[in-house]
Amino acid sequence: MTQTAHRALLPAGLTDVLPPDAAFEARVREGLVQRFSRYGYDRVKPPLIEFEDNLISGSGAATASQTFRLMDPVSQRMLGVRPDMTLQIARIATTRLADEPRPLRLSYAGEVLRVRGSSLRPERQFAQVGAEIIGSPSPEADAEVILMAYEALAGLGLAELTVDLGLPTLVPAICAALGIDLDEIGDRIRPALNQKDATAIAALGGGVAEALGALLDAVGPAASALKALNGLALPDDGAVGLQHLQDVVSLISRGAPGLKMTVDPVEIRGYEYHTGVTFTLFALGSRGELGRGGRYLAGNGEHGGEPATGMTLFLDAVIRALPAGETEQRLFLPAGSDSKTATRLREEGWIAIQALDEALPAEEAARAHGCSHILVNDEIRKITPAEKDT
Amino acid sequence: MLANEKLILALPRGRIMDDVMPLVRHVGIEPEPAFFESGSRQLRFATNHPGLDVIMVRSFDIATIIAFGAAHLGVAGSDVLMEFDSREIYAPLDLDVGHCRIVVAEPEDLVKRDNPKRWSHVRIATKYPEITRRHFAARGVQAECVKLNGAVEIAPTLGLCERIVDLVSTGATLKANGLVEVEEIAKVSSRLAINRTASKTRSEEISDWIGKFRDAVHAVAA
Repeated sequence: MTQTAHRALLPAGLTDVLPPDAAFEARVREGLVQRFSRYGYDRVKPPLIEFEDNLISGSGAATASQTFRLMDPVSQRMLGVRPDMTLQIARIATTRLADEPRPLRLSYAGEVLRVRGSSLRPERQFAQVGAEIIGSPSPEADAEVILMAYEALAGLGLAELTVDLGLPTLVPAICAALGIDLDEIGDRIRPALNQKDATAIAALGGGVAEALGALLDAVGPAASALKALNGLALPDDGAVGLQHLQDVVSLISRGAPGLKMTVDPVEIRGYEYHTGVTFTLFALGSRGELGRGGRYLAGNGEHGGEPATGMTLFLDAVIRALPAGETEQRLFLPAGSDSKTATRLREEGWIAIQALDEALPAEEAARAHGCSHILVNDEIRKITPAEKDT
Repeated sequence: MLANEKLILALPRGRIMDDVMPLVRHVGIEPEPAFFESGSRQLRFATNHPGLDVIMVRSFDIATIIAFGAAHLGVAGSDVLMEFDSREIYAPLDLDVGHCRIVVAEPEDLVKRDNPKRWSHVRIATKYPEITRRHFAARGVQAECVKLNGAVEIAPTLGLCERIVDLVSTGATLKANGLVEVEEIAKVSSRLAINRTASKTRSEEISDWIGKFRDAVHAVAA
């Protein structure tokens, strides 16, 4: 007993996904990628492990501390297990697919591994399903991925969705205009902004407290937030960013009137590599975020990278937010059933389970296999389901 | 999963409640009578607002409860928020009650012969291992924390450790145990804490309550 229990123990944050959850997860994952393909996002499949410097260079630095590493005995170089797939897609787009026409639309689904889970999502391995559009700087591109994510989640049956839009370039722009070195006071500003701690911001004093305080006050529903932000005197690059955000908001409100929008111009978390509008998706009543994305520079070309935007859905969070999947109907074929009939029924879409012997009476065996139906004299009959002690 | 239609406000039990209730009343929230019965085993209470329930929990648990979205908003000490340091909690408003400080304290005779510059490792008894570790790490000292849930001040005399990190308000408990404050880590006060997801998905309702609490803080201070 102890032996079995020991063998069952998995490292923290890792789980076995069992029936019927594994099949449900696979259906949801494929459904999402298929939906993205309807918008012309072609699927790519990068490897699980890459050279460490590829994964954590440049914009990957933000995820460096979340990367599992191992030594490659062949190349004698350090390898990293991907903690995120966006950078791999950017690498593919700007190297192997560099000659493809722009904008380039790519989608992906795969497992990622992280050193630590968070308190809300303790999983260290989970699936990401996402889409990236590379080579377009226009707000239409941002709106396209956000609307696509919204439609995908709504299509799964999630109601009351909210997208929280951010502009992580605004705070650095304001600080630069005030002649403040963000590297110096960033450690004090970031936690305060992320906690929306108006007291700590006010304690900074001077122009920076006033400017950041005004941004904090603007946080909220998109309409009122944009109105408040438009009333502020912003530096030029800040104003350009705000105009872009505004365009995205109006495109979304036209495309998806049912999607609630909030704007949070001070949120800077895990967005260290973003260069423009970012977003996070939430559903009413579900715990934590379902997915996020935003604008970044793909690759390090001669012009300093290509403008790109994209989104990633966290499959574990999406599944948790969904109502339980419908159990499929299963048909029990008693021992000695005709194999041609079985083939025909399977082609019709039945899950048909063939009995191998007659150790148990047919109906009892059917229940033990979780079947809802049984084949008796070539006729499909419904059976009363077994009481399952779970 | 959280599918509560009602908003839930988490309030801390104990002494701090006396400071917090005037604010709660000023906001216009009146819990049902059972809330004030000392013998009551009830933990969740209706209020005069049909869309709002109140729960009463230990102040140290409020951060956890809000981070997981089990309550949408609540009153939490900034010490607890600092210790928990969750990205899922917003703390937009200082309620200006429950003032105290987190300090490092040690026995009087130790102060005389101690040179903090030479420390590479310290052992500290505290309710706040995270705050303690971060504070000492920032100055290049590794803190080994002995987690205690109460009576932290007694630890040095028992030989459990030489120093403590704890809350002080008047300093009387420190003095009674022969300890002196050597360093202040942070000033503490009660904050209105908000669950991040709720603040996005129910932003109108939540901003409305934040506004009411802000007015109450100003009114009570005036």
